[in-house]
Amino acid sequence: MQKKKSKYLWILSAVTVVFVLFIWWLVTDGLGIFTSNTLPSPIKIVQAFIKKLTDPNPDGATLGAHLLSSLKIVLSGYLLGVVIGIPMGIVMAWYEKADLMIRPVFDMIRTVPGIAWVPVMVVFCGIGFTSKAIVIFIGAVVANVINAYSGIKQTKQVHLWVGATFGASNWQLLTKIALPSAFPMIINGLKLSLGGAWTTIVAAELLASNRGIGYMIQQARGILRPDIIIVGMFVIGIVGSLLMLPISLLEKKVMKGGKW
Amino acid sequence: MRMEQTGKVKKDFIVCKDVMEEFPKADEGMFRVAENLNFTVKENEFLVLFGPGQCGKTSILNMIAGFDLPTSGSITVDGQEVKGPGAERGMVFQTTCLFPWLTVMGNVEYGPKVRGVGKKERRKKAQHYIDLVGLQGFENHFPVKISGGMKQRVGIARAYCNEPVVMLMDEPFGHLDAQTRYLMQEDLMKIWEREKRTVIFVTNNIEEALYLADRILVLTNCPTKVKAEYKIDLPRPRDYTDPDFLKLRKEISEVVDHTL
Amino acid sequence: MQTKTPAQERRDKIVFGTLAVFLFLVIWYLVTKLTAFGEIFPDPVTVLANIGDKFVNPLGKVTLAGHILVSIRRVMAAFVVAAAGGIVLGVTMGWYPVVEAIFKPIIEFLRPIPPIAWIPISILWYGFSEMSKYFLIFLASFFVITISVYSGVKSVDPMLIRAARMLGAKDNQLFTTIIIPSVVPYIFSGLQVALGNSWASIVAAEMVQSNMGVGWIIITGQQSSNMVQIVTGIVCIAVVGMLLVMIMRGLENKLCAWNKQGR
Repeated sequence: MQKKKSKYLWILSAVTVVFVLFIWWLVTDGLGIFTSNTLPSPIKIVQAFIKKLTDPNPDGATLGAHLLSSLKIVLSGYLLGVVIGIPMGIVMAWYEKADLMIRPVFDMIRTVPGIAWVPVMVVFCGIGFTSKAIVIFIGAVVANVINAYSGIKQTKQVHLWVGATFGASNWQLLTKIALPSAFPMIINGLKLSLGGAWTTIVAAELLASNRGIGYMIQQARGILRPDIIIVGMFVIGIVGSLLMLPISLLEKKVMKGGKW
Repeated sequence: MRMEQTGKVKKDFIVCKDVMEEFPKADEGMFRVAENLNFTVKENEFLVLFGPGQCGKTSILNMIAGFDLPTSGSITVDGQEVKGPGAERGMVFQTTCLFPWLTVMGNVEYGPKVRGVGKKERRKKAQHYIDLVGLQGFENHFPVKISGGMKQRVGIARAYCNEPVVMLMDEPFGHLDAQTRYLMQEDLMKIWEREKRTVIFVTNNIEEALYLADRILVLTNCPTKVKAEYKIDLPRPRDYTDPDFLKLRKEISEVVDHTL
Repeated sequence: MQTKTPAQERRDKIVFGTLAVFLFLVIWYLVTKLTAFGEIFPDPVTVLANIGDKFVNPLGKVTLAGHILVSIRRVMAAFVVAAAGGIVLGVTMGWYPVVEAIFKPIIEFLRPIPPIAWIPISILWYGFSEMSKYFLIFLASFFVITISVYSGVKSVDPMLIRAARMLGAKDNQLFTTIIIPSVVPYIFSGLQVALGNSWASIVAAEMVQSNMGVGWIIITGQQSSNMVQIVTGIVCIAVVGMLLVMIMRGLENKLCAWNKQGR
């Protein structure tokens, strides 16, 4: 009975999607209620996507080139932030003295959205690669520090006692007990900060750039090309989801599907 | 002291006839929980279902409660076939299942409340049962704030307050420490003698079974059926060190299926 | 292990927190005064003085307080609508499989698009009007709240439902007395994330296009290379952001007292 029901619902989902696309088509190409200067039809969007793959007009680069430019900045800033942020968070949590003082400062910095740092960096180093990579880096460091920190802090005291009873050194306690129990939080930090980084790069490119996926949709806005904007938005959404895949794989591999 | 089916004056209140229950297994095929299950319970009788670990005792209670229905066979309570959960069959759960957002009072008065009993009347009734289980003074505490034994008392009061004709108790003291467990058994006996109900009590603890029961049904491993039946005529309150008690304890222990 | 009472813990937190912020300001001051960094970055005293000054004298059209209020008003107007809509949709999606089947694919498809990526299209559709901001904030909160509430309904403990049915609750009572209270913590976590998202999004939106608001302060600061003004804006954004988080947490602690593992 249960199986039959879910099959029927799956069909309903498919029908809804088709129906929404049809209504979209109807109010645009079909009846012309919206002109292609405000809301292009789904067909036009697919056409724009295919064209943009090879055509550098109207903003000077193909879709792939824009995407590559954004990804380069995101990944350099993000990876650097991860490599520095996670160890920093661990050290902060493991050595108590650092704790009470540094934590509030990080909490404070965290409330500033990444994009607010863009003007500071633009004044410092212009609108190129460096300024944006630094903004991404700041966001990634803060998120990873806080999550690695909270993860280590949540280590059950009992587990540490058990370790100590078996004669583990401080270093062994950290690597064999605290780190594994902090792992889910660290993964959570990796995900959050990657999402944040991807959002921030789009925002930064809207504001100050001459290349990149955010720049592409901002330019398309200026010349009334909603088809390119929507292509850009979908690409941003899909690429954002794809970026999460390696982290989810890592999570699955290390946690082996078991409950932590 | 093994009992033959004797025609007593009291009528059969709960009748399980040829009950069989199967679940689809995770991989393939069916898992048979119970088969050829036949037993009756008299009105106001305290029946204990006693059996090894995962032998399907809970499944039997769930079927009488109406959460699950038997694959074949029938269960009737007071002449009515069980077709779903109902307020006339109260249950005390092993995991207490208190509503965490309601206070002790809120939990106990929940049953009368959803059945439309006026506020004044149901408060009075709830207070009566809170006093009966010895929780006066804790009416306004939330479940997270009270101990495991107290939670189980709330569970009992909640089930009683709905004035069911049948009480189903699914290893209610299974998670409690030994000392609390003895105390709860004593109190449960006192409550039952003051407010007689037909009770089906599930346990895997032989002493608990002997302390509480009018009659014990020993169940086999899955698929479960009744293996032996004992009528316990020891006077109440019973003594764990009484020679008759110990003799029965030994006798029943030898019958139980220890192969898991 | 010495144990501290909650009151002591809270006091420690406040004391050390204040101390940390103070220390941070001192280091900031020393770095700007003693190194070359001070030539391009203002010291905290200048920034604080500027904040005080701009609360009295207007910056652009209105004072600093005016800018903050404009941004907060934009967020709140859309946030409230999104919260109401998101809670209703999330609950119905979780409760009725048919509603779930209809809306889930659409939401799953739109959700990965960061709210900020909607800025160009919102400007194209609504121009300079306030509506473009409301639209954006709505998107920034709506999906987050909907999904959070939906997953809340999905993770209601089935044993609690059993217990309620055992006590005689009918379907509609199950909904009001079990589902809704179970979901409250999820509503709050959704609202918290959504409010953070909204605040970040309004800053971004105002930076891209506006003539008022906290985002406007920093972007005009950039355009005139006025670092003091930029940092002033950042401080305001941080403080207001923190206050919003604190208000939401306070509200949560009040309404979900039963959910806290008290000792």
